[in-house]
Amino acid sequence: MGRTVKRIVSVVFAAILLVSVPGCEKSKSESKEFTPKYDTSINYKISVVGTYANFESLESEFERFYSYYPNGEIGYTYLDDYGNTIGPALAGQEPPDIYVVQPWMYGNEKYADLFNNAQDLSDEKLDIDLDCIREGVSWEMEDGQILTLPIFATSYGMLVNMDIFEKEGLKVPETYGELLDVSKKLKAAGYESPVMGANTMTTPGIGYTFAYPMFAKTVKDDRSVEDALNNLDPLAGETMRNSLTRLKEFVDSECIDINKCSREIENDYDAVIMRFFEGDVPMMLCSGDVVSGTKKRESKSEAFSNNPFKYDFYIAPSGDDGGYYMDSISILFCVNKNSANIDMTNEFIRFLTSQKELGLMAQEKRLITPTKDYSLDEVYASLSGFPDNRTISFRDTEILDTTVKQFRAAAYAVINNTMTVDEAVEKYGSIAVK
Amino acid sequence: MVGLILFVIVKYANDRALESNRALVASFEKMTITTEQIIDNYLEDEQHLCDIWSNYINNLADAGNPMTMEEAVSYIRKVKISSEISGHLIYIDDGSLLGISTSPSTTNSNNYQVDYSHISIFDNFDIKNVDGKVNLTRAYTNPLNGVQSIAFLNNVKILDEEKGVIRDGLIIRVVPVSRLEQKLIFLKGEYEKVEISIIDWDGNYMIHGKSLKNSNFYEYFKSYNPMSNKEFNKVVESIHTDIASMHIRNSKSEDCVIAYTPLTSLDSWYLIAYIPAKELTDNRSVDWLLLGMTSVGLMILLHFNLLVLRAFNRKLEVAAIAANQANEAKSQFLSTMSHDIRTPMNAIVGMNEMILRNSHDEEILTYANNIKMAGTTLLAIIKDILDFSKIEAGKMELVLESYNFVSLLNDLVNMVTCKAEEKGLFFELNVDRNIPRVLIGDEIRIKQIITNILSNAVKYTKEGGITFTITSTKSDKRQDEVSLHVEIKDTGVGIKKEDLDKLFIAFERIEEKKNRDVEGTGLGMAIAQSFLNMMGSKIYVESEYGVGSVFSFELRQTVVDWEAIGEYDEAFKQFRSEQKEYKAKFEAPEAKILIVDDTEINLKVLISLLRETKIQIDTADSGDACISKFKTKHYDIIFLDHMMPGKDGIETIKEMRTLKDTANENTPVICLTANAVSGMREKYIEAGFDDYLTKPIDTVKLENMILNYLSTDLVVLNNEDKRTESFTAPQNILVINKDLGVLRKIKEWLEDAGNIVLVKSEEQAIKYLENHEVSLILVDKEMRLEESFDDVKLLSRDFKEMDRDELIDLIKEFL
Repeated sequence: MGRTVKRIVSVVFAAILLVSVPGCEKSKSESKEFTPKYDTSINYKISVVGTYANFESLESEFERFYSYYPNGEIGYTYLDDYGNTIGPALAGQEPPDIYVVQPWMYGNEKYADLFNNAQDLSDEKLDIDLDCIREGVSWEMEDGQILTLPIFATSYGMLVNMDIFEKEGLKVPETYGELLDVSKKLKAAGYESPVMGANTMTTPGIGYTFAYPMFAKTVKDDRSVEDALNNLDPLAGETMRNSLTRLKEFVDSECIDINKCSREIENDYDAVIMRFFEGDVPMMLCSGDVVSGTKKRESKSEAFSNNPFKYDFYIAPSGDDGGYYMDSISILFCVNKNSANIDMTNEFIRFLTSQKELGLMAQEKRLITPTKDYSLDEVYASLSGFPDNRTISFRDTEILDTTVKQFRAAAYAVINNTMTVDEAVEKYGSIAVK
Repeated sequence: MVGLILFVIVKYANDRALESNRALVASFEKMTITTEQIIDNYLEDEQHLCDIWSNYINNLADAGNPMTMEEAVSYIRKVKISSEISGHLIYIDDGSLLGISTSPSTTNSNNYQVDYSHISIFDNFDIKNVDGKVNLTRAYTNPLNGVQSIAFLNNVKILDEEKGVIRDGLIIRVVPVSRLEQKLIFLKGEYEKVEISIIDWDGNYMIHGKSLKNSNFYEYFKSYNPMSNKEFNKVVESIHTDIASMHIRNSKSEDCVIAYTPLTSLDSWYLIAYIPAKELTDNRSVDWLLLGMTSVGLMILLHFNLLVLRAFNRKLEVAAIAANQANEAKSQFLSTMSHDIRTPMNAIVGMNEMILRNSHDEEILTYANNIKMAGTTLLAIIKDILDFSKIEAGKMELVLESYNFVSLLNDLVNMVTCKAEEKGLFFELNVDRNIPRVLIGDEIRIKQIITNILSNAVKYTKEGGITFTITSTKSDKRQDEVSLHVEIKDTGVGIKKEDLDKLFIAFERIEEKKNRDVEGTGLGMAIAQSFLNMMGSKIYVESEYGVGSVFSFELRQTVVDWEAIGEYDEAFKQFRSEQKEYKAKFEAPEAKILIVDDTEINLKVLISLLRETKIQIDTADSGDACISKFKTKHYDIIFLDHMMPGKDGIETIKEMRTLKDTANENTPVICLTANAVSGMREKYIEAGFDDYLTKPIDTVKLENMILNYLSTDLVVLNNEDKRTESFTAPQNILVINKDLGVLRKIKEWLEDAGNIVLVKSEEQAIKYLENHEVSLILVDKEMRLEESFDDVKLLSRDFKEMDRDELIDLIKEFL
């Protein structure tokens, strides 16, 4: 009798345990939902400064934060001449509580205070869920501190007119071979230049968006060349050969009509978007920043308004096995650790640091989310699950801005036939960048 | 009603809310104007301080003692009071926009250098010649301390020591935006959520309200308020030129109000005050809580009322259905009663009439007379009930026909005289001699109205009498109309004031206990009043309890013949003289008539009534039997009953009229009917009858009708000389006899002789004699009189055994 009772009790407990397991998971998931730490009636004021003239996606976050802490005022201010004024601002009478930094600022003495003044967001007391950040864009300092919160990521690739591909019954190319094949078919179908882009020396330009990720992959695979490259050693120019050669093949193929691009796309941002919205460009090389400008310009394009179409962002298929995904940081936030409103500022950052909020911001801005979940913005859905072996995050290389500029100049010269690939490789370090 | 009240309340509240909203928005606009004035004053002050700096520097330059950049900045450093405010001085003649500041960089206390080459705040200025009232830049980042600031500008002449030349400089008074924002803190008291923004021509902010996303107001506006370019341009134009307000949607699609005004001291700067609409409406004066509670209360009341009414209506519906059913049953009952009661009554009255004619047994005659009286009363009651049910059902219609007013008067007077005399009451008649003789109206109904009033007067008067007065006035409105004023005055019991209202209520009898010996249904006055209402008139009553009553009414009648009736006494006598003691007026042994009736007794009555005329009478008991005889034998008149089982009278006559080549093509057919409802004559004529006669059959009417339709060569009139011998008595004659039959006989014999007053008792006689003079008192010799009467006038005999001639001879002899 006693054993029977014990059995029954055991079964009941086991059942309770089984039922409780998903319950535990659920509560863990719920713990990620933001719960105000302070009295929600608290009065506070937070200032954010940055480089965007408009930062509506951040302002939307202010609104959402107000739903928890309604008696506050969070303002975003664009600082004129940010590179020169952020330092004085931090040291001034009205220092910002949150400010924007970019990866290239790190290591520059001029901006040392930006990092020196930054709050360590990994401090456990702050309870900020940094785990939601994608590893590739998470920036941990050598001492283990995390001074920055990536807000947006960006990349380089191409906008694809999905309607054309559907109409022509084609699949978006993933390898260079597929690109050649698809381009040939598209050309046959009447698309004069299946791929277009801005013929500029800038990062959204054709050369950089198509070939730089391949170059970065080369560096990632052999980081021993980094120093030489950063020191502008002409011998390091050889590192560019593969990517420049592929670029040359590309511009010489039926894929792209460079002259047409030069004629019809006069700048690397607005003109790229508006030309793409004309609806007759199957693939438009660009950066993620350019993609971020598409949403607002949809209504400004008469052609797109009259004949809207579906478009997505894809990595340019420059490699034989596929393209290379530059998982780059666009902007990061630092919290001013000397802020007069440090608690509420940290609370705001704690609120912001979630897949949901960062995802919503990225979706509104139409930049790439820094979190692990790409699903919020369909345009970037192709990046989800991109192979790691062809992904280059900003921490995989330490290529200085001067090196980048040399590559851009070399690519531009090769595209426009002012240099051969050999000449560009040979002249690395001394290629005119303007 | 509750719904209407609710509607009025909500409408009122809504109007008040709209009015309140307008007032609040107007107030908000005023606040914006006030704010603009404060900002204007402030900006002018700041510009003035900047001008003081530049004037001082330029004055020295003009005086030939120009200051170097360092000296000028040093001067500014000394004169400026606020540490928040900086003075920047830059060269503008070489485009470098480099200079020095009164305050060092926050990152390097030794660095006073300032560089505006990367800050585009002078785009809208000709900086070599800034000459506005207030020269203000957009909000920008102070390059030395990173603070968002605005700058006031003025040109200065500066000595370049190195080059030894006077150069163009620009003095910049740099003021943190926060300082300007502090000037607007006062607004928070009045409008907690107000946000002040200042924008330039293109919509870029100098001061940026926190809820206004985007760095450009117009971009923000367009993003959340989609509209056509034309509409958008109108909005921009309004902001550029007007002092006004408008509702907009914010980024959360909430209704907001912006009030805007240009800054008067500046070119192309505009102040925009923003507030969520609900913040404004929260302050309005409509108490929505109270309104809501009232509305909810009314709604509950409405629903409660509806429930109660619904329940009540359900009961009413059930009651109405039951009442309708009862009414239908009543109508059915009354309809059948009309036939089923009147038909046997015809037999009773007819057979009774035969008894009265043929019997010589006094006892039987007394019984028969009682039957006749009861039958008459019963028929009157039935008639009243029929009429009232018809009025109730709205089916009573007036039949307007021309009638002889004298005839109408005669009928009335005959009726009331008999009744009054029976009760020993006097009956006084005052008839206007100018009343036209022939009028148009519903004679039957008029007669009924007056009869009812007169009958009541007789019924409720125990002593005294009734005075019946009719006068006429020619109508002012219509030339063919006369207005009759009828007044019936009695010395009866009178009516209490509180009972006057009951007078015209159906079946309501006043002081029923006291008057229970008075016959009646309580319908008479109600019917009279209803008929008068149909004729556009009504009865007026004046009454004094215990003294008597006066009933009167006005009646308009169309005149056919304006010939006046003259002295009614003469007319009445003339009419009375035509009334004969019953005897068959004629004999017509050669005439043949057919009488058709399904009731044997009715046939017998008619045969008996016409026996003395010696007419040859055939009978038939059905429509088919009638038609059979109609085809085979000639008749001079056919009397055909209406209501018969099988083929009724109307069906029968229709068939008869279709038959050709019979001996009766021109034979008049007269309808016999118990249906006494008015309007039937037209119905019967239309059906094909030549005339109709109502049951119970009036012998005189029957004989007259036969005389009317019989060929004169078939008729032999009886000698009437003997019966028409006149006898005139000079004074009133009082007859005292317990036997009503005897009283009537004497009355009939002497009616031409003068005013005959009949009483049944000594007491009634004494009372009458108290107020009246008589010339003769006829008293039954069997009666023992206790009081002494004037022997000279007293004639005591057994009048029962006496005939008319004997009585007249006796009176002549006595007088």
